[in-house]
Amino acid sequence: MNTLWAIPAIAEEAEEKGKIFDFNLTLPIIVAEFLLLMLALDNLWFKPVAKVMDERDEAIRQKLMGVRDNSDEIKKLQEQAEAILKAARAETTAELNKMRRETAASLDAKLQESRQRVEKELAEALANLESQKEETLRSLDKQVQELSDQIVAKVIPF
Amino acid sequence: MQIEQLQIFEIDNPHQVSSVEVHAQVLITSWVVIALLIALPVVATRNLQTIPTGLQNFIEYVLEFIRDLTRTQMGEEEYRPWVPFIGTMFLSIFVSNWSGALLPWRVIQLPHGELAAPTNDINTTVALALLTSIAYFYAGLHKRGFSYFGKYIHPTPVLLPINILEDFTKPLSLSFRLFGNILADELVVAVFVSLVPLIVPVPMMLLGLFTSAIQALISATLAAAYIGESMEGHH
Repeated sequence: MNTLWAIPAIAEEAEEKGKIFDFNLTLPIIVAEFLLLMLALDNLWFKPVAKVMDERDEAIRQKLMGVRDNSDEIKKLQEQAEAILKAARAETTAELNKMRRETAASLDAKLQESRQRVEKELAEALANLESQKEETLRSLDKQVQELSDQIVAKVIPF
Repeated sequence: MQIEQLQIFEIDNPHQVSSVEVHAQVLITSWVVIALLIALPVVATRNLQTIPTGLQNFIEYVLEFIRDLTRTQMGEEEYRPWVPFIGTMFLSIFVSNWSGALLPWRVIQLPHGELAAPTNDINTTVALALLTSIAYFYAGLHKRGFSYFGKYIHPTPVLLPINILEDFTKPLSLSFRLFGNILADELVVAVFVSLVPLIVPVPMMLLGLFTSAIQALISATLAAAYIGESMEGHH
């Protein structure tokens, strides 16, 4: 009879806890694990990687500032280069014009010379032709005279 | 009489033992998660270079993501000290959930219970939720001193009971949201696998990966939001 009272108690001891809301020592252990993990991750991951990333950002910012200064220098150099180019261009055009004028002058001179030569030759040829014409005219005159003498002699033989 | 007393004495002992009970399967899987989370940065920060490649790129991306998350919720000035807390919250929940879904825990047979995600146990999720509660209380008190308690009557004193209730519902909802999602997903996948072990469980498993990742993000975002909310002053 007394052992009958014990049976449900023994049964309770033998059953396994199947509760879904079973809070026990696991909870504070997980809390402790989380805090230790937080410390570990902070020192192993977040701090070193944050350092590298921030250093990289700083370096990039420095380089950007440097590049901005360089662009002023570059503008000055560009202006200088353009000035030099302009001067060189002016010089070359001046020289070119001079050359052009000189060649034009010499060409003109040559042209004149050859024109004169041609004119002279032309005049000579004309004079030649004139003298030849007079000569032929004279010879013609002579021949005409001879012919007319012959005709007269033939017509008036008696 | 004597026999009864003996038996009562013997029955008392298991109750004393069970008051220091522990869910060993949760501890084992949580140690695996911690090992993974510590191995990753140790390997990846071996040779940190200015121009990152491979693994360093990945861990920088994760840190950037966590920083952005924290900064969005807490504002530019105050977010820096809280990045480790929110980061650990996000990463531990994320890796716990995905380890439960991806690692082949069933290969290891335990005498009682089985290995699964550590977040499928109410102890884990309530632990994380309580940590969040303590964190936002600490943030508020640290920043504003005892005027922090003025926030309970902030819009109107009529809302005082609701504001007090909020301090209880916040950790409750945080813990139950995570616990319910993970445990339910595991149970559904287990049922599917026991019915049709071949192709049918796979979409459910993929959905489980997606939702568990979202749950990690939500837990971290809400933690950051509560902390940010308790740090902001009266406008």
